[in-house]
Formats: sequence, structure tokens, C-alpha cells
Amino acid sequence: MPLIRVRDGRKHYTLDKALTTALDGVSLDIDAGERVALMGPSGSGKSTLLNLMGCLDRLDGGSLEIDGQDTKALRDVALSRFRNRTMGFIFQSFNLIPVLSVHENIEYPLLLQEVSASERRDRVEALLEQVGLAGFGRRSPENLSGGQRQRVAIARALVTRPRIVFADEPTAALDQKTGRAVMELMVQMNEKAGATLVFSTHDATVAGYARRVVKLLDGKLAEDGGAA
Amino acid sequence: MRLLRLAWRNVFRQKRRTLTTLGAVVIGLAGLVVFQGYLGQLMKGFRESTILSGIGHLQVSSDAKYFTDGEFTPYAYGLADEAALTAKLAADPRVTAVFPSTGFTAIGGLGEKATTLLVKAYPSARMRFGAVTAGDGAFNLGALTSGSWDPSGGPDRLVLGETAARILKAKVGDTVTLMAVLPGGGLNGRDFTVAAVYRSAGRDKIFAFTDYATARDFSGLKAAPVLHVIARSLGDTDALASSIGAGHAVKTWPQLATYFVQVNSMFSGFLGVIRVILLLITLFILANTMNRIVFERMREWGTLRALGTKASGILVLVVLEGAIQGFVGAILGIAAGFAVSLVLNLAGGLPFPSAGTVLQIKVVPDDQAVWWNLVPVVLTAALAAFLPALRAMRLSPSEALRCP
Repeated sequence: MPLIRVRDGRKHYTLDKALTTALDGVSLDIDAGERVALMGPSGSGKSTLLNLMGCLDRLDGGSLEIDGQDTKALRDVALSRFRNRTMGFIFQSFNLIPVLSVHENIEYPLLLQEVSASERRDRVEALLEQVGLAGFGRRSPENLSGGQRQRVAIARALVTRPRIVFADEPTAALDQKTGRAVMELMVQMNEKAGATLVFSTHDATVAGYARRVVKLLDGKLAEDGGAA
Repeated sequence: MRLLRLAWRNVFRQKRRTLTTLGAVVIGLAGLVVFQGYLGQLMKGFRESTILSGIGHLQVSSDAKYFTDGEFTPYAYGLADEAALTAKLAADPRVTAVFPSTGFTAIGGLGEKATTLLVKAYPSARMRFGAVTAGDGAFNLGALTSGSWDPSGGPDRLVLGETAARILKAKVGDTVTLMAVLPGGGLNGRDFTVAAVYRSAGRDKIFAFTDYATARDFSGLKAAPVLHVIARSLGDTDALASSIGAGHAVKTWPQLATYFVQVNSMFSGFLGVIRVILLLITLFILANTMNRIVFERMREWGTLRALGTKASGILVLVVLEGAIQGFVGAILGIAAGFAVSLVLNLAGGLPFPSAGTVLQIKVVPDDQAVWWNLVPVVLTAALAAFLPALRAMRLSPSEALRCP
């Protein structure tokens, strides 16, 4: 059974009073441990699909099952809990909380799970070590470079030991060298931690880090195949 | 706790904006605290002087009708147990003084001049014409402009009001003849020596004073129609009133000092209106600030939601941030109000013109200045944040994350 199963997924937006179709009958299965890149030009629906699979939005039509759970049946509280326990997110602009230190940013999802203080500390320190930011815990995210911030975001995404990590254009705000380092870290995370990695990109080089590339065009699945 | 910590840090995230928002709340509240402290002292002084100007903390009569009809026709309301009741109340440690009073209407004449007088009488030792405190166990009946009142002086002395004295062309040492109707219908007349002339705006045309023994003898009164009780503490009034047994009519000072109650209500109303205006300003300023905050941090709400924060958690976070701003503003505003009051008091207080003179009133904010301002401001601030918080809460995480 696939970890993620999308069937005839549809999503519409109202833009300037006009109904726009962002996703038009997409069906997709992703198995546990896969490393999948969603590719396509701007407006192709890759971010929409990523948000839907990440339960950050709801389908207007079709169905989405994650780990056998029909997400339509989950209401806000259950969905929030499901996200917190099953998924990790990495954003293009890092989206760290500026009033929290690096340590607190990574720790935040564990606070929602009410994990004990000692375990939180151990997990955060281990991840900081893994992403090469040992000793940076007390710093403010504002005092970090773009690459460092994205590594903090990766640590935050992994701290709950999620089954899936979604990354929306994770290297778009980084220079090529830093972007490469971030992608290598994500690959490492996928291989070592076993977390399924689904990321969107319009960059073929970045997509090259994936084992499977799914191409979208005008909200439809255009191609589903091997590495780019 | 997690949300509270986050909300607290968010408050100080944009220091300049927070300072501007808090500045308005602080200035408004400081002004309100000073005004409240000034008004409180003014009304406290007015209340004390009203109670000690002939009322007392409570009055006891044989019948409730005395308080509407009997003050100057007291014959039907004599207290049968005057001595026992006086002894009982005097023995109460909460009581400073218990004494009777009476009154009668009379025509006062001097030479060819005559005027109607309402003569009020208290025991000689309880009559003062100058400042008194509750501890003195006496009433302040006005300010003497000539003559003096010797508590140990003889009978048949009269203290005339300044206006009445002018009508009668009477001065200290003159003899004024009082004619009054007795209970049986007969007419009694007696000569009184003008011992002093007092001034009291609105009272000194009609009210005159003599001592209780003289009034009782002159009017043929058998028993005191009313007893005045001066309590050691204002707070004992109700308990003392309850301690007086059945068969008596008791009125406490708020029931008797209707003018004070009206003025106090009026000023409390002013204060209430000012507080409401301040709260509305707080509501407007904070709602505006919170709206901007919510709009600017949309992506952050989206991130928190993506990490697993419930929609209600976002609502709580934003409302907490508003409430914390209100709390900090209220605490600083109240503290500033107390500090300004201290400075004003060191400079002698605030002026208050009264009866041709200017009194310096101290500004003394009390604990009410804290609770009556802190709680409404915090609640208003939370309310101001509520609608923006609802907006933040209702957005789906993906919509919030798409915001610039």
C-alpha cells in the first residue's frame, strides 16, 4: 500500500472572481522511503499538489490517503495533530520563527507533542550536530546565513521523526553551492532517517537529486518517471 | 505556556510600534489614574464634611416618618428608650459619639425686623464651627464670621446665619426674640442672645443653632426625637445600623446625605464616561495594531499551522499578544499615574476653588485605580485582538503560507 495515494485530485481557486483550476484530476502514488521531485513551470500546480499532500489545504474533488488515512475525514484538530506527527515541512523562505532561537525553532513541533524536556534537548542537539550547526542553538535565526537557516529548517522538519518530509522549492532562495549542500543533506536524511522526501522544484539540477520525477503541466500530471 | 511565551516575545518584536501603541494607553491611563485620585480625595473630603455637618454616620428615631416630616416638628417622635439606647450605643467600641438633636421653626424678631428661622439644636459640646474629624465626636456647623461658641456657655444662646443676621440687622451680643408654636398649639416666646454669626452658603439665611438643652426646654420636648451616631470608621456604618434592635427607624448616611450621593453619582458618571472613552481609544488603537500584525505575519501563522499548531492555537496566540500589550500598557499607565500623583502631592496637590478660597487637594489613587483600570484595559485589548485573530485562524495554512 502506498504511503501517499492521490486519486483524481482536483483543486480550484477563485482569482479576481474567476475560477482557476490549479489541479485537474491528478492521481499519484508515493511509497514509503521514496525521494520524489515535483517539477513543472510556474502555475503548473506543483506547489498546490505539495500543499494538498501535506494536508495544508483540502481537495475540492477526489481523494487523498496518507498512510491509509483518508484525510477528508479529519477535522482541524485531528489534521493538525496528524501533520505534526506524520509530516515535516521545509519552505523556500525557511519560515523560521524570528522570536525563537535556533534551538527553540527546532524544538517547537516537539512541544506540541508534549515530549519531555530532556528528550527534546537530546533530539535537538543531535539534529544540530547532524546538520552541522552544533553550538548554534542559542542564536537567533536572523543572525544566520540563508544556507544555515535552511539547515535549521531541515532539522525542524526532522525533529519529530516524520514519515514524510515535504519541501517546497527548498533551494530557490539559496546560491548554487549552498543549494547543493542543502540537497545533499536532504538526500542523506532520506537515506539515513528513511523519511519519504517529496519536493517541488523547477530546477532540473535540483530535480536530479530525486529518484523519481513527476512532471506537472497546467494542473495535470504530464509525466511520472525516473530521475531527470 | 508555549503560546504565552511566544506571544510575550512577539509583543516586543517591533519595539517602535509597540511603544507607540503602549504610549497612547499609558498616557490615557496615567491621566485617568490622576483624575481618579484627585476626584476620590475630593469626594472623600466632601463625604466626611457632609457626615459631620449635622448628619452623623447614622440616625435612629422611633419612626421612619421622622426623617420626612419630623425634623422641625419633632414632638410625635420621641424615643421612649432614649437613655437605654444612648447607653447601649455609647458602649459600642465602634462608636465615637451618640447624641440627640431636635429642631423647631420660629419667627425671629429684632426691633422692627423679623424673619423665619429653622432652629437646629445639638448638645452644646457637640457643636463646632470649624474643622472636625470623626474622632472629635462633634459636628461642624459652619464657619463663624463673628462671635464664638463656648461649649460651656449658658443657655438661650443663638448662632445666626450671616444672611439672617443681615435681615434682622443683628450682631453678636444682640437679643433676638424667637416665637414658636408649642405641641399643644400655644405660642411660646423667648429672648436669645446672639453668640455668634456663621457663614454657610445656601444655609445661613434660614438655619440658626442653639444648644439642645435650651431647645428642649423652650419647645417643651419630652424625649429626643432622634439620636445621631458618629462611628469610628465609615465601614462600620452598616454593621452598627444592623445592631440596633427592632422598634427603631434607622437611616445611614448615604440615605440621609442625598446631595452628596447625587454629586458623587454625577462625578462617578464623569469618570465612567472618561474610562469608556479611554477604552474605546485603546480598542481602536490596538485593533489597528493587531490587524497590521496579523496581516504582516500571515506566513508565520501558516508555518505554525504546518508544524501542527491548531487553528484555535493561532486565535489564542493573537488574543494573548493583544492582552499582553493591554496588560503592559495598563501596568505602565497605572504606575505613571501613581508617579505623577506623587510629584503633584510633593508640589502641594491640585487646586480646588471652594467658597471663595482655593483648597489644595492631594491626589491619592487607591487600589480601585489599579483594578478598575487594569482589568478593563486587558479585556479591551484582548477584545481588540479577537477579530484579527479570527481572521488569522480562519485562513487555511496554505493560504497563509502563500501570503507575501
